[in-house]
Amino acid sequence: MSPDILLKAHKVSKAFQGFLAVAGADLEIYPGEIVGIIGPNGAGKSTFFNCLSGELVPTSGSVIFQGVDATRATPEEHARLGIGRTYQVPATFEDMTILDNVMVGAFLRHAHQANAREEAMRILEFTGLIAQADHRAKTLGTPGRKRLEIARSLATGPRLLLLDEALSGLTPLEIQQAIALVRQIHRTGVTLVIVEHIMEVVLTLAQRVIVFNHGEIIATGRPEEIVNDSKVIGAYLGAGRKPHRSTAMSRLDGHGA
Amino acid sequence: MIALQVVVGGLLLGAVYALFSSGLTLIWGMMNVVNFAHGDFVMLGMYIAYLAVVVLHAGPLTFTLLAAVVLFLLGGVVYYLLIRQVMRGPMLAQILSTFGLALVMRYTVFWFFSATFVTLPGSALGGNVKLGSILIGIPQLVAGIIAMVLTIGMHLLLTRTTLGSQILAVSEDRQAAMLMGIRPDRMQALAWGLASASAGVAGALIATFYYLTPTVGESLVLIAFVVVCFGGFGSVPGAMLSGLIIGLIQAASAYYIGPVYKDVVVFALFVAILWVRPQGLLGTV
Amino acid sequence: MRRGWLALGVVLLAAPLAFQDPFYERMIALVLLWAVLASAWNIVGGYAGQVSFGHAMFFGVGAYLPLLVYTHWKGAPVLGIPVGIAVSVGIAVLIGIPTFRLHGHYLSMATIAVAELIRLLVTNWEFVGAARGLGGPASGRTIWDFCYRSSIPYYYIFLVVLALVLGFTCWMEQSRMGYYLRAVKSGERAARSLGVSAPRYKLYAMIASAVFTSLAGSLYALMLGFVDPDSVFGILVSVQMVIMAALGGTGTLIGPLVGAALLIPLQTFANSLFGGQGNGLTFILYGGIIILLSRFEPGGLLEIWNHHLARKGRKGRTE
Repeated sequence: MSPDILLKAHKVSKAFQGFLAVAGADLEIYPGEIVGIIGPNGAGKSTFFNCLSGELVPTSGSVIFQGVDATRATPEEHARLGIGRTYQVPATFEDMTILDNVMVGAFLRHAHQANAREEAMRILEFTGLIAQADHRAKTLGTPGRKRLEIARSLATGPRLLLLDEALSGLTPLEIQQAIALVRQIHRTGVTLVIVEHIMEVVLTLAQRVIVFNHGEIIATGRPEEIVNDSKVIGAYLGAGRKPHRSTAMSRLDGHGA
Repeated sequence: MIALQVVVGGLLLGAVYALFSSGLTLIWGMMNVVNFAHGDFVMLGMYIAYLAVVVLHAGPLTFTLLAAVVLFLLGGVVYYLLIRQVMRGPMLAQILSTFGLALVMRYTVFWFFSATFVTLPGSALGGNVKLGSILIGIPQLVAGIIAMVLTIGMHLLLTRTTLGSQILAVSEDRQAAMLMGIRPDRMQALAWGLASASAGVAGALIATFYYLTPTVGESLVLIAFVVVCFGGFGSVPGAMLSGLIIGLIQAASAYYIGPVYKDVVVFALFVAILWVRPQGLLGTV
Repeated sequence: MRRGWLALGVVLLAAPLAFQDPFYERMIALVLLWAVLASAWNIVGGYAGQVSFGHAMFFGVGAYLPLLVYTHWKGAPVLGIPVGIAVSVGIAVLIGIPTFRLHGHYLSMATIAVAELIRLLVTNWEFVGAARGLGGPASGRTIWDFCYRSSIPYYYIFLVVLALVLGFTCWMEQSRMGYYLRAVKSGERAARSLGVSAPRYKLYAMIASAVFTSLAGSLYALMLGFVDPDSVFGILVSVQMVIMAALGGTGTLIGPLVGAALLIPLQTFANSLFGGQGNGLTFILYGGIIILLSRFEPGGLLEIWNHHLARKGRKGRTE
């Protein structure tokens, strides 16, 4: 494998009880990139994302990060390797202060409380949250929580940051601020993979875009190319995949199990 | 032949274990709540049977039905008054709630009956029957068969009827079930009622061949837990199969090692399962 | 805050002077012992959020080892203390490693099962005295037998251990372990994505908890001079530890102390009034308290007190 590649997903597939959510996805991420992942609902983006972050183990295929096989690695091991992530629905530590939230991240590379605190403060400055350091995380609104999640993950010193719909649910002004933050992070040398629904965000930020549909990657390329690709347009206009039905619900529907 | 006797006895007991364990696994799979009071629900079934006989001179069918109905209602009440609210709270509260319930139930009965053992007086089902070379107590035989039938019935209820499918739908995908017009709250209450009723019936059955003591719930819930872990949580067929196996292991331990050790072996087996295969035979963790 | 603890320390140091009656001296010694136990449980139950219902196993092991040393080898019971701790840690690891990677219920069930398993084994094992139990030295042969007629020396020994366990908890709160445990309790999934190995830290908490519980058990055996399976391995011990920490307020330093200070006098008087049946009544009461706590205020009395202060503060500001 070329030493240049940061993350390589090779023929990654993930099946749930016979339902193939992701089918043989191949992806290479190079250091310093901002890569966007898009696709209609149910296309398998989130599942693939979770395979990259360690929350799901691929049914087949491999995930290699900086030459290390991370296919079966736990989420903690992923963090230690240098992969960070945020969540679509923010999962901040509600009852802890904003500073403490970030400190949890900082403790990964700084064992002592004093050093972790210093690093956390630095990250809070960087992400513009320093003024609320002593407030509880639950006092933040959704944009604040998303920002906190990013700060918290940054404190772990990641080389690759996976952002899961970090900009959804924000007002246009908040989106602008978030984009600025993402660019700022990118300038510090962090590679970013962004899953997004909002087209303008992806087109603005991403240097390369990957399109999922029916669990497969149907197109990759620069944003301008993707937007005009007939396959991509077809995917968004088409029906997409029917949501997976559990056996009991299929029975109630009147279809076979 | 002694070994065959032990096997049959173990399987019959295991069938009863399967019956009350399937209730526990249903609730757990559906709501991720473990009912620490489940063994005491069984105990309550036992004492309802006893009181029905002593006070009402009821027959076996009557007291079994009575246990089922009373425990069904109790399960529903417990769900609406306690479980529903506690489920939304922190894990500590969820775990403490049913444990506290267990203590209250257990020691309230203890208050009335103290530690003395009682047995169901003059059961119509006394006596033994000889099948081939083995001797089986009639109550054990009847209890085992009824338990097996009821457990299979529960499985069929869940998988073949509309109501059962609605209950399982909530278990498998709450959001989608709601979109189909199913009320998760009501289904969960029903599941609690069903689970409690099966515990009550199991207790009534046990009362026909075993002595009653208020603290039996503590070891019964552990047995239920081992059965559920072994069979895979959420899986009623898994509970059926592993109930039989656990019953067998208990009978064998009691006979070959010593009666005191029948629980010890099951608990030690539990720790072993946790180490080796916590997802059980048929389930996922 | 600091002044509060200092004041408490002074009160605790001087307390025995206020009581002349051996009955009360014994009671306050037990209050301290249970404060230690509840605080020890709090480390894994309150801070790490892992609910163990079987801590009696550590208490019992800690209580039996010193008296085993005395009974079989006529040694000073004190020598049994480190052995008790080692065995308790071993049990903690045996249970913790498989269960901490699973959902919380597994640990709760496993602790009940193993505690009961140990109780059954001990009750049927002649070497450790079976159901009769074991006795210790009737009177002190040397100073190392720690055999005192009065409860007061034990009171001060327990006070030292209480300071140790609180000191450890305070240190832990501020350290990486404390932050990680709070994070895991708050959101395990997110914590893991930040590199927190939840199973490992839960295990650390369990080990620390087992160490202090075992130590307290050993000291209890020294004080009583006698142990039997039901009194040290029974579920009452486990439940009491849980309820004291939960009633006072889990995850706080002072919560367990409040719980012990309230419940031990309550239990002592209940026992005097009701005798044998008192035990059943105690359980009903404890069960009821646990249900109420879990249903209405899982944060315990401390949380209720905080709400009260907050309401007063709001009222003050509007006036």
